[in-house]
Amino acid sequence: MSRFAGLAEAVAAHVGDGDTVAVEGFTHLISFAAGHEIIRQGRRDLTLVRMTPDVVYDQMIGAGCARKLVFSWGGNPGVGSLHRFRDAVENGWPRPLEIDEHSHAGLAERWRAGAAGLPFGVLRGYSGTSLADHTLTIAPIACPFTGEELAAVPALNPDVGIIHAQQADRAGNVMLWGISGVQKECVLSSRRSIVTVEEVVDSFEPRVNGVVLPSWTIDAVCVVPGGAHPSYAHDFSERDNDYYAAWDPISRDRRAFEAWLGGMRDGVAA
Amino acid sequence: MTTEGAGTAEGAPAAAGLDEICVVALAEAFRGDGEILGHPMGPVPVIAGRLARASFEPDLMLTDTIAYAVTGTLPWGAAPDPAAVECYMPFRTVFDQVWSGRRHVVMGASQIDRHGNQNIAAIGDYRAPKAQLLGMRGAPGNVINHTTSYWVPNQARSFAVSVDVVSGPGYDRVAALPEPSRRFHEVRRVVTELGVYDFETPERVMRLRSVHPGVTVDQAAAAAPFELAMPDEVPVSRVPTEAELHLLRSVIDPGGARKADFRTRL
Repeated sequence: MSRFAGLAEAVAAHVGDGDTVAVEGFTHLISFAAGHEIIRQGRRDLTLVRMTPDVVYDQMIGAGCARKLVFSWGGNPGVGSLHRFRDAVENGWPRPLEIDEHSHAGLAERWRAGAAGLPFGVLRGYSGTSLADHTLTIAPIACPFTGEELAAVPALNPDVGIIHAQQADRAGNVMLWGISGVQKECVLSSRRSIVTVEEVVDSFEPRVNGVVLPSWTIDAVCVVPGGAHPSYAHDFSERDNDYYAAWDPISRDRRAFEAWLGGMRDGVAA
Repeated sequence: MTTEGAGTAEGAPAAAGLDEICVVALAEAFRGDGEILGHPMGPVPVIAGRLARASFEPDLMLTDTIAYAVTGTLPWGAAPDPAAVECYMPFRTVFDQVWSGRRHVVMGASQIDRHGNQNIAAIGDYRAPKAQLLGMRGAPGNVINHTTSYWVPNQARSFAVSVDVVSGPGYDRVAALPEPSRRFHEVRRVVTELGVYDFETPERVMRLRSVHPGVTVDQAAAAAPFELAMPDEVPVSRVPTEAELHLLRSVIDPGGARKADFRTRL
């Protein structure tokens, strides 16, 4: 059963050094607030998981939180590269970053298997590529019915899954809507989960493409209005495009990044 | 560069720029696709897809580049009018709908070889890359499950004897796969700043389909580190019609976003 908690308390309780952690979200509903709290609490040796890591993962990698990244796309959306991510992979700064790279469909399949309690997912999409030469979490498998060779990918079951949603009800159920990614699979497959929400309501309204996560799938619900900033929460906030553009020069320069990091840790800016 | 002196198409304004010739070449890649999801990525391909639908490929399904399928002709960078939204197609469902061959992606290629193998993930040794790029993204999956074309604005830098990692497989690698795995694979076009390429040869290797106005066959060949297949006579790429130039300049891209890939040349 979920329980309401402050974000600092939830991160302290559920995110430990060495954990596998996913802060999921796609285009909107990206819990920057949780990522920043993980940086503030100085977590180390995390394996970070996300289909489309963006600026918040760049910040966590630059802050030295991560030893490994599981991903399929890593960029500053609409702007360019994640330079802290690149610096870690290319130059080992501030520490080497191991990568476990998949395609979008491959990671979606890993999430789906994890959420379903299955040991692996299967897909045709890796055929012909050289991804299996580089990524250890891909293995050939023959279809037992047709003999066709396909790719098997192991389930993702992170220690902690973190998402942002629009609403929780008073019983701690959660609802999100708008462009949805793999938030549902992330929560269902993770051993522990934290959801930051915009607001608490008495009851949910039915919505097209709405995703409801029952309270028994969630450990902590944290009320953090604006917690997705600079991404947005559909029907609650607009995307702060200037933030993403402004991140580029900070990300490109280690000293500028360290200045940003100091300010963020002190709560001056996020 | 302009098409001055090319003079190959009747009624074509002499002022068509290289950017507009490339947009039309990419739009041509969609010709005949009909009612499938056209999924161009990046300004030049997106503008090309919108041009194709606004002119000769009206059944093409296009998005706002985020999650809505939209009707009408959406200007680059504009949000769709709610009345123009045909359906909502979030990331989590798109593969279910389009991996039956009913999609044509146009994307970039940091490296591409003569068989059409494409790399967008990393340059150099994969474990210690010289450049860690944005990642494999959708290429492993997309490329064998529907048609793909590539927009390569710097041919000499991107054409490679062999790619460092294969994100999107080409014809030689796909030939070895069993039928269900390769039934939808088609690398239709590669458009660069110099010309248009396809794989319409018996060996399925890259062929120079046309050179852009003002570019010689030798220039195109010199910017490829492998041997290009050549037709006996290499045509000149089609220049935009007046109607297409009007659509590009006044409707789809009045702000000139299509010029960004040509900063060093225009």
